[in-house]
Amino acid sequence: MNRYGPFNWILLVLSSLILLFLVAPLLGLFLQTGASEFFETAKDKEVQDSIWLTIWVSFSATFFFAIAAVPFSWLLARKSFPLKGIVQGLIDLPVVLPHTAAGIALLGFISRDGLLGKAASSIGINLVNNPAGIALAMAFVSLPFLINSARDGFAAVPERLEKAALNLGAGRARVFFTISLPLAWRSIITGFVMMFARGMSEFGAVVIIAYHPMIAPVLIYDRFTSFGLSYARPAAVLFIIVALIVFTALRLLSDRRKTVVTKREYADS
Amino acid sequence: MLILKNISKKLGDFHLSDINIEISEGTYYVLLGRSGSGKTQLLELIAGLNRPDSGEIWLDDENITDKKIQGRGIGLVFQDYAIFPNMTVSGNIGYSISSGSYDKTEVREKVRKVADELNISHLLDRDTRHLSGGELQRVALARTLITAPRLLLLDEPMASIDASLKDDIKRLLRNLNRKGLTIIHVTHDYREAVSLANKVGVIHNGKIIQEGNTDDVFRKPVNKFVARYSGVRNFFRVDFIKENGEWKAICDDKLIFSLVENDYPKEGLMILRSDDIKIFNKLPSNPLVNCFKGMVKEILPSEYGMEIIVDAGEIFYVDVSADTFKEQPVEESSEVWISFDPVAGIALHGTS
Repeated sequence: MNRYGPFNWILLVLSSLILLFLVAPLLGLFLQTGASEFFETAKDKEVQDSIWLTIWVSFSATFFFAIAAVPFSWLLARKSFPLKGIVQGLIDLPVVLPHTAAGIALLGFISRDGLLGKAASSIGINLVNNPAGIALAMAFVSLPFLINSARDGFAAVPERLEKAALNLGAGRARVFFTISLPLAWRSIITGFVMMFARGMSEFGAVVIIAYHPMIAPVLIYDRFTSFGLSYARPAAVLFIIVALIVFTALRLLSDRRKTVVTKREYADS
Repeated sequence: MLILKNISKKLGDFHLSDINIEISEGTYYVLLGRSGSGKTQLLELIAGLNRPDSGEIWLDDENITDKKIQGRGIGLVFQDYAIFPNMTVSGNIGYSISSGSYDKTEVREKVRKVADELNISHLLDRDTRHLSGGELQRVALARTLITAPRLLLLDEPMASIDASLKDDIKRLLRNLNRKGLTIIHVTHDYREAVSLANKVGVIHNGKIIQEGNTDDVFRKPVNKFVARYSGVRNFFRVDFIKENGEWKAICDDKLIFSLVENDYPKEGLMILRSDDIKIFNKLPSNPLVNCFKGMVKEILPSEYGMEIIVDAGEIFYVDVSADTFKEQPVEESSEVWISFDPVAGIALHGTS
């Protein structure tokens, strides 16, 4: 009793309540879904297509936006410039915006009358109700996760390593690719996984831009409103399982590098 | 030759102001100063990592003030070495040449050659994260030397290595200098300047307050700060008078020191280096000038041997070698006689 004083017991009870709150609905969802309806849904071509669409569109959005977002994160970590605080605030804005509002804002931008929409339609692409539009909606709400994580990663790289590389004759681009990027890699991967995950789970912004083709969250909503809870539930369970498998695989891949390094450290010591 | 002309730079609340230095080829220049005095900032200006607000930097008759860092031919070894943790030792050493016109075999040969010179060939395939301070320093030096710099800048090179390795590193640096490499070495430790430098600059609050040959700076410090910084611990506030053609310094009406002929102010500070004072455990048979009776207050082991603190009306700090101390041992609270040559007494104008 001495070892576990009243404060520790209170902490334990509060923590258990939080965990229960997080786990109970998911557990309920799984328990209430019968095996036959689950496998039937898993075989449903419409469901399969929507899950596949969600994964590849979110991954593509993360991948293509990372090409610009990662160097931008380095800039935020290393350089001072006028109105930097405001720029930082703008990056975080999508996190606090209602996502439907973000979708409406984006729709104005990518519809045929909008700036980007006009440019896209001039080469024959209609961004609304198109995977490209879905990708933009996913990226709009999930970019802060990548930018902030990569920025923190770059900030943690000692600046004098970059200075030493410059002193050794390397140009700015070589310093970025050989020193800054490899040393901030873990934070960038973490940000990448978080952006990808956030993109996959997005509903509010996407549903405004594209009801069709249906990504998994829209499909679940559609089945719920059209046919009710019992019809939506197996699709939700399937999507949760697929999402868990994808994230676990990504985390394992990014952790493997860490494990290899740790093993080498032991071998050397 | 490196020339800094009227260099000034504002960095936050700190100013480097009006720095003028001339360092001829082959010089080993030690820039001495406390942490925060502006030593590292000055090195970064010379290397090109920062630009001065005003003034010019010339290297070998070329104005390099606005020249790109990559084209200056100046090597900088950082205080904590800044070794790239994502590369092996050979990856670090070959970094500067691995993207250029050399093929892989040439890079490997060049890396091997410089590693041989610095006795680190056995480390080439090692991960850098488990190297000792001394090994890291050699890797950092090799990485810089492979670029064949015109000028080598060293930021506190002895700060992070074991005392036992310092002599090795000093020998290495001395050899590099003897081969003709101009070196600027910044440190807070005057002993490094004594053992390595042929020219010394003392920097304080962003200003060079004294510069010159090592002996001149340490023998004739311009003020108390430089004297204290160059290891002097005996300071006496005195009046200088000339009596019967001989100069004397009167300290607090208690002690009278005989001095050699020189240009003395009316009053000021007289300084004495601790190793210029001799100590005897009985009254010396030969009459000596500047000989005072005192009592040993404390005996402390020091790098030099022993430090003996003597109260002879004023406190004297006396350094004796371990051998001398063995030959003529003294004890705390015992009576002793101290003496110094009139040449050893140096006058400082002013008292600060």
